[in-house]
Amino acid sequence: HKSAGGLSERAEQGTQLRHNHGLGFTMLGFLTLLALLGHTLAWDIECCSAEDRSEVQAMWQKIWSAQFTGRRVQVAQAVFADLFERDPEAKGLFARVKVDEFDSPEFKAHCIRVVNGLDTIIGLLEDPDTLIEQLDHLGGQHVARDGVHQSHFDEITHSFAKIMPQVSSCFNADAWDRCFSAMAQRIAKDLP
Amino acid sequence: MNTLLVFLGLVAMTYATAHECGPLQRLKVKHQWAEAYGIHGIHREELGREIWLYIFEHEPKAVELFTRVRGDNVFSPEFTAHMSRVLGGLDMVISLLTDADTLSAQLAHLQSQHKERNIPSEYFDVMERAIHTIVPHHVSHHVHFDQDAWDACFEVIAAGIKSA
Repeated sequence: HKSAGGLSERAEQGTQLRHNHGLGFTMLGFLTLLALLGHTLAWDIECCSAEDRSEVQAMWQKIWSAQFTGRRVQVAQAVFADLFERDPEAKGLFARVKVDEFDSPEFKAHCIRVVNGLDTIIGLLEDPDTLIEQLDHLGGQHVARDGVHQSHFDEITHSFAKIMPQVSSCFNADAWDRCFSAMAQRIAKDLP
Repeated sequence: MNTLLVFLGLVAMTYATAHECGPLQRLKVKHQWAEAYGIHGIHREELGREIWLYIFEHEPKAVELFTRVRGDNVFSPEFTAHMSRVLGGLDMVISLLTDADTLSAQLAHLQSQHKERNIPSEYFDVMERAIHTIVPHHVSHHVHFDQDAWDACFEVIAAGIKSA
């Protein structure tokens, strides 16, 4: 299963505990059981608490609705503008979607796909099993694109953190950062 | 007599425009969709599952197109994630109904994603019926669901996705 890494890591921690503190197999068994119970949450998403999730959904809802196409395009374009300012070379990754014509329908449609993908996973914050499936699906789509690195996800994480407070009133940066980083790291986990 | 003819003419015009996806219909569909789609994943899953169950019930063979994402079990995380992608895609094109150029670009993108899958045209008709059967239950005051606007606008979307 996909969380095998997390599991063995925890089992190792259990082994270490057993050696360090002389605890017997019961403790290891207990830790393994805990790890199994928590397997779907065995990555940083644990830090994105239930309160954080509903905060993020509430903040997002207010700026993102199918009714407001203009808003969607503007938010998405602002994020990418900030990303390219941060890392001009990253532009090269989007040649296929006409990044050089920032206002072209092709690039706008691309911007909307990206931010719509974010909308989908924000919606799934309450359903971790499906969320992991979807994050790993997005991961696969990014692995297939040469030149996309984990560092790009760090950059776009920063861009969102910078743009969001400008469009969202009462922005809760901590909640946003905890949930966004966890999701971004999961998508980027197999990238160079 | 003239007045009557003008009146009849107006009636005919109204009737003729009732089934098209015009600018006003697009606004209404966007509004009703935003309400039905909501923001919560669990709710979106319920909406998606009802739509897909309708499709599989009326076109059982359609399941075969979704073996990779476990169409045999619409409750599996694999299929649920797939549903969330489809509804997300629908959300995107509905939100773009009022931005013709970007809508065309996005429909072209979706067309390229669908063309290898050889989806029979009638599956799109089933989806249209699934939508106008299921979505009304997810808007408040569903007696005001505008089926003609939805069907007409869905046809704009479906025509853009279908392989030429």
